[in-house]
Amino acid sequence: MKVREIMTKDLTAVEKDIPVRELIFILNNAEMANVPVVDEEGRLTGFISEKDLIRAALPGYFEMLHSTSFIPDMNQLAKKLAQIADEPIERFTRTSVMSVTEDDDDLQAADLIIRKGVKNVPVVDGDGRLVGRVRRIDLLRHFL
Amino acid sequence: MIVTVTLNPAVDKMYWVNALKICDVTQEEFLTRALRSTTSAGGKGVNISVFLSRLGVENIAMGFVGGHTGHVIVRDLRDEGVTTNFVWTHGETRANVTLLEVGREHSPNLINESGQTILPEEMARFMRRYRSMLNRAAWVVLGGSLPPGVDPGVYGEMARMAKDAGAKVVLSTGGDALTRALDACPYIVKPDTREHKTFGDKELTSVDAIVEAGKDVVACGAEIVIISHDVTGDIAITRDAVWEIKASVPTSKFKNLVGADDVFLGGILYKLTQDAPLEEALKFGLAAGLASAESDEKICRNMSVIEEEMKDITVARL
Repeated sequence: MKVREIMTKDLTAVEKDIPVRELIFILNNAEMANVPVVDEEGRLTGFISEKDLIRAALPGYFEMLHSTSFIPDMNQLAKKLAQIADEPIERFTRTSVMSVTEDDDDLQAADLIIRKGVKNVPVVDGDGRLVGRVRRIDLLRHFL
Repeated sequence: MIVTVTLNPAVDKMYWVNALKICDVTQEEFLTRALRSTTSAGGKGVNISVFLSRLGVENIAMGFVGGHTGHVIVRDLRDEGVTTNFVWTHGETRANVTLLEVGREHSPNLINESGQTILPEEMARFMRRYRSMLNRAAWVVLGGSLPPGVDPGVYGEMARMAKDAGAKVVLSTGGDALTRALDACPYIVKPDTREHKTFGDKELTSVDAIVEAGKDVVACGAEIVIISHDVTGDIAITRDAVWEIKASVPTSKFKNLVGADDVFLGGILYKLTQDAPLEEALKFGLAAGLASAESDEKICRNMSVIEEEMKDITVARL
């Protein structure tokens, strides 16, 4: 089966210059955990997730400790989040982004999702423009 | 690619009842039980997107959505195979209610909400996304009413942007939103005359008045103007000709008029994108609209039913 047959045809995406506050609004309302970042022509340039924002709002030492027990309360996270709320998301965006095309095999999308442990993979056309995404649930519902 | 824009979409909630009870005295309870009901994504551009998708035409639906009803719209469109690209807003997308009495389906009762107020930053977000879609659009459909908070000149601005990007524009709306977009010279103009049989300050009470109003719009630069004459007939005005499209179908056959007019326009667009002559496009469009009106389903997907309807339609030059 080709990716075009299983993908979710949704173009919800953001530009790199929108503030963190706006990204949180979009993720919350669209009920998405992550969203592709596109340029003015709709070409895929990156990817950003709620996980990236949480990481950005956590104290620097958290990555080393891998434990929330060293965070006394949520105030630190809230304070940091307030500090970055009006910053452009570009700083927190991952620019090395995986993608598949509509004509790729479903196996290729499945491989990326399973091997990289991501929730979904963006789908692009021949010009690199976003045309949809393959979600984990898309794989599951099509193979049942 | 066809891009449809519905700035004020709706969840269409339809109820079929035996008889709608209207209370004129105070009492404790008043209940009309629905025989059945349906819920679907609605709005002019949305309906056209669904129809085109059912005929296998790839298209992108854009607009504003919000809240629970916003999710209903996006989900429904995706299930129909339409590519979605909506801007999420702080409010809740409206719901439009249609009440259909069995045996009187040709005269439905409609209650339409005005829609959520759009904030300036939400409009700016939409325009940015709209601009980025124009590089893949051959046709842009601008359809339906404008939600509160949106400048009535917005369709004109969007039409100009689309034309500059090389796309043909189809405009289907009414009131100020329509008249203020005419100087952008859309390719097709279809005034929404459901509420008022007027176009600008002109009353559309006769064929002559419709033709005159249509010619004025063509003089402004539109290629095709389509104005409803009655429920089974339309008039199309171009620079070179005036066409009357008529169906010999009794209105008693109608089961569901919601969206039929949008399917009519969708059918015309479907044929024009295949480079069919206007006469054929008009005939197919009306057949598609009638097929939808005569089926319980809001939008008819059955091509053989549409083709059968074409036998009852005449297209004549006036």
